[in-house]
Amino acid sequence: MPEKAEPAPKSVGFMQRHHFLLRRLHSLTGVMPIGVFLIVHLTTNSSIVWGILNGSRSVPGHAGAYTFQHEVNFIHSLPALLLIEIFGLWLPIAFHSILGVYYATTGKSNVAHYGYQDNWRYTLQRVSGYVGVLFIFYHVATLRWGWTFLVPGGTKWSAEYAASTMAMALRGGESITVWGIVVSLFYLLGASLLVFHFANGLWTAAITWGLTISKAAQRRWGYACAGLGAGMMVMAWSAVLGFLTLDPAEARAVEEAMLRGPGVEVVAPADAPTTTSAPTTPNDR
Amino acid sequence: MTTATTTNGAPHATSSSAKKSIRLRIKRCDGPGKPEQWQSFDVPLEPGLNIIACLQKIAANPVTVNGERTTPVVWDSGCLEEVCGACTMVVNGKVRQSCSFVIDESMAGQEITIEPMTKYPVVRDLSVDRSRLFRALERVKAWVPIDGTHHLGSGPLESPDDQATRYVLSTCMSCGCCLEACPQYQREDDPAKWDQSFVGAHALSQARLFNLHKTGAALKDQRLDALSDAGGVNDCGNAQNCVKVCPKEIPLTESIAAMGRAVTVHNIKKFFMGR
Amino acid sequence: MSTMSGSNTTPRVIVVGGGLAGLAGTVRICESGLPVDLFSVVPVKRSHSVCAQGGINACNEVARQQGYSEYEHFDETVYGGDFLQHQPPVYEMTHWAPRVIDLLDRMGVPFNRTSEGQRDLRLFGGSLYKRTHFAGATTGQQLMYALDEQVRRYEAEGRVTKYEHWEFLRPIVDDQGVCKGVVAQDLRTMQIRAFRADAVVMATGGCGLVFGKSTNSVMCNGAAAARCYVHGAKYGNGEFIQVHPTAIPGADKLRLMSESARGEGGRVWVPAIKGGDGGWGPHPDAARDPRQIPESERYYFLEERYPKYGNIVPRDIATREIFNICMDGMGVMGGNMVYLDLTHLGREYLERKLLGIIEIYRKFVGEDPAEVPMRIFPGVHYSMGGLWTTYSAKDDLRGMVAGAPDSMTTNIPGLYAFGEVNYQYHGANRLGANALLSCIFDGLFCGLGVVNYVRDSAERRAADLPQSVFDGALKAEEALVQKLTAAQGSENPYLIGRELGDEMTAASTVVKSGPRLEKALARLDELRARYAKISLSDTGMWTNQNLSYARALGDMLALADVVLRGGLERKESRGAHYRTDYTERDDANFLKTTVAEHDASTGKSRITFEDVETGLVKPRARTYGKTESGAAGAKKPVGATA
Repeated sequence: MPEKAEPAPKSVGFMQRHHFLLRRLHSLTGVMPIGVFLIVHLTTNSSIVWGILNGSRSVPGHAGAYTFQHEVNFIHSLPALLLIEIFGLWLPIAFHSILGVYYATTGKSNVAHYGYQDNWRYTLQRVSGYVGVLFIFYHVATLRWGWTFLVPGGTKWSAEYAASTMAMALRGGESITVWGIVVSLFYLLGASLLVFHFANGLWTAAITWGLTISKAAQRRWGYACAGLGAGMMVMAWSAVLGFLTLDPAEARAVEEAMLRGPGVEVVAPADAPTTTSAPTTPNDR
Repeated sequence: MTTATTTNGAPHATSSSAKKSIRLRIKRCDGPGKPEQWQSFDVPLEPGLNIIACLQKIAANPVTVNGERTTPVVWDSGCLEEVCGACTMVVNGKVRQSCSFVIDESMAGQEITIEPMTKYPVVRDLSVDRSRLFRALERVKAWVPIDGTHHLGSGPLESPDDQATRYVLSTCMSCGCCLEACPQYQREDDPAKWDQSFVGAHALSQARLFNLHKTGAALKDQRLDALSDAGGVNDCGNAQNCVKVCPKEIPLTESIAAMGRAVTVHNIKKFFMGR
Repeated sequence: MSTMSGSNTTPRVIVVGGGLAGLAGTVRICESGLPVDLFSVVPVKRSHSVCAQGGINACNEVARQQGYSEYEHFDETVYGGDFLQHQPPVYEMTHWAPRVIDLLDRMGVPFNRTSEGQRDLRLFGGSLYKRTHFAGATTGQQLMYALDEQVRRYEAEGRVTKYEHWEFLRPIVDDQGVCKGVVAQDLRTMQIRAFRADAVVMATGGCGLVFGKSTNSVMCNGAAAARCYVHGAKYGNGEFIQVHPTAIPGADKLRLMSESARGEGGRVWVPAIKGGDGGWGPHPDAARDPRQIPESERYYFLEERYPKYGNIVPRDIATREIFNICMDGMGVMGGNMVYLDLTHLGREYLERKLLGIIEIYRKFVGEDPAEVPMRIFPGVHYSMGGLWTTYSAKDDLRGMVAGAPDSMTTNIPGLYAFGEVNYQYHGANRLGANALLSCIFDGLFCGLGVVNYVRDSAERRAADLPQSVFDGALKAEEALVQKLTAAQGSENPYLIGRELGDEMTAASTVVKSGPRLEKALARLDELRARYAKISLSDTGMWTNQNLSYARALGDMLALADVVLRGGLERKESRGAHYRTDYTERDDANFLKTTVAEHDASTGKSRITFEDVETGLVKPRARTYGKTESGAAGAKKPVGATA
């Protein structure tokens, strides 16, 4: 019986030949490592807000700034950080972004005629991808690569003064400036879109991989993704607004105290419960 | 019978509808590459009217609202009861079967815009060339590879639930609505390239239909190979418009997810054990 | 001009029409190794067969173990057809039916299933046994898709070439009177071409459009059959047109409400008041909400008049009863409507068994049949008559000779007619769910005959005939197009078509009479004269539907003449043909096929009558157990026997 799969024409390019693998790697990288990193990253950054609840700290002052710096210190204590960053983060993000933009160009949004919620999310997924790439570039270039000419006030982020320099980068200096607000709005937008992109992408990934087949399963998974997205959205906004409203000087005091190194006595605020047992808060990693 | 069929069109017939009319604004085009233009026609309301009945009346008297005599509008239709898939058009901005667009008295004085589908080459006026739909069925080998027509006993037993699943998939009439509304499915001028592009929800659903059949599953691997390639199930962008515009309410997005799973398993198997 | 579609000596077969019969024939012929060129005015997947709803009949084990058999199916079909059929083909078809079901099952048709996974069965008109297999209420669609898929498979292998959006214009007959090809026109480019073929199978369905509005699809205008007829093919039993009892009237067509609605327990009634004498009379408040009308004021007239079959009497009988009850003023709201009530069956049951038609009613009427009784009226549905065909009977008349080259061939050798377009199997009235069977049976059984015919005629291949054989027909069709596009008359073909439909519906459907038919023939003369003076509103040569319609109108007028004249000459009542001036069946004079031949000089038909082979079942009275009046006691509907 002459019924066999037609071999793909020889002339097809790399993208066509490895279509399935590339598509699935694109989907996979979005979840792991990028999505997982996003959760960790937002957790870390929002510690500027939830860190206030941190009962175990070794220096007095702004508890959020302390917790955040503590987190940053932990990350920077990881061995071969640059390699982890390059292979675990930058390359996956580059891969996901480049392929994503390429795939997005194969579609053509039609929400004007078919304004269904799912269709809006389809469109927003692509828009959030485009904006997200720009945002990530700005975020990494200014804070990691030190492209301070893109930062109002020219603050260079430093791992030792993590919270205070972050606050200054967002505020546009010691105090809030107009350009600082612009940058902060861009952060709010970029972070929100990336959270949406991840949550919605997680929902569609379950369809792509065939985990959710029935309408009911897709709906249930949709609620789960929406819940996760809402949580991440809170963290994202907390982080941005937390740093925007953080007084750099106050943070710097905490950071300098921490820089003086271990051995500093634990001074808990009078009204905070004394933590003597092993801490179980997320900073204990 | 004449009186019966002509005066009894609809049970709620009243004489007050005699003078009222509906306006059809139709996008026209004399042929491939010819300019497009809009023309409007007024059609008197009558009981049981639908878009096809309006087009029939316009064909008999092709005069626009400006009193200009023109050629009859060209359109495709068949069964007029939404089982053949012929009369798909874009009505008021959305794709649908035009036969089931019923015009009642409450719509008197309104305007209905009618356009050809945009994802297929226009032949003339509202008629488009949808042969790509059928080529897509060939691409996913949408058939059961039976041995021949000789009497070889009955087919496999099937549970009522499995039948129900297959039946609804099997009501797909290749009308093209799902592709017209799909943001991932585009028209290509190069036919060869077009046939390699996103196959579309209808074909994915048909692949599922035949993979679900015991004998049809003999071609499962070939179907899944086709769906793993460019233009297959991975090209779906999950906008899920297809399922909303499907006139037969076929669970197309479930079919897409089912094919997503099948393709995943197929490729993992192939990686570890395959050819 | 290329006419070399069969340019080498490999024989080719042309199939015209891509419905059930054409697709089944294509599959069967292809399977034997002959390439097929398949012509259709629409993409074959959109053929009219998709509209068939109820099911397909075949003896099955459940029925067999209750006393049913293929022979019973045969007998029912002949009885239902009022004995007008040639019996050997019916015998063969009914005995093949279980194999047809098995084959379709193997092709993947999603037949409804029992809890064990067997094919489910339903009751249908004209039988007391459950012997109808079904796939929801879109059985025709499902069967046709299965065949369409098999044809697509052959197409992928290069063994079928489809010519979709091509219109058949005429058969090409050589100097020996043998059909050797067709002339067809691409309905998009308007190119006209002659195609060579060693056999041509017409599978072009019925002619509902001759009656204006019908349950048929828009392409069922009978033009293809008429074109064979005007070029020398005989037409049989043209006057036998089935009017389906239950359709929903609409502005563009009449939408079928399947007989399966009654087979599954639907009840037909009208609001009425029972008089002291036991007879029924019009209800004083007939416009009432039907749900408010008490049981005692509902006249279940089919159940009362036919206690044995109840609502599942054959179509001609149900149609006449519904028609008459409305003529007697008992129709719903005094008009031409009766209730078809499914409300007692429950929504879940309806959606599982009848979803397709329930949705049609919801969409087009806007009411839910699970809540409110449907309002229906008869509508033109099926043509029992069609191109005259022959066959080879077995010596004992029990069936046809398998593979005989003359299986369903017309009087023109090499020109076959399969499915609704031939006049076989259904006699004076077709039983519900037998049409799908006859179409597929023709394709499968007679397809082999075509193959054998082509192999037997190897010494005269179409590809080797001189070009002149094909050029004449081609030029004639080109000239006709020239003439139509150049015409400068004042008549509008669409208006003539509408008047033709109205006249045919009024004169030649449920009730006919000699004077009315003569009046209609006079009207036809007038319409023919007006047709000679038409002009087109579109004279271009790109996708000109106006031209296509106007050309077909001429053929519809020719067919209308066959229908009317046959009806006039048949001075009796039989099956779907009911004459008020000859109300009884007359076997002595009219147990015969009506054969119409075209008279080219007058453009009219010549009618003769020809004997029918009734050697297996002797004609008997056809009463379906009718009781004399509505006073009869038995009220219970005949429910599920099996």
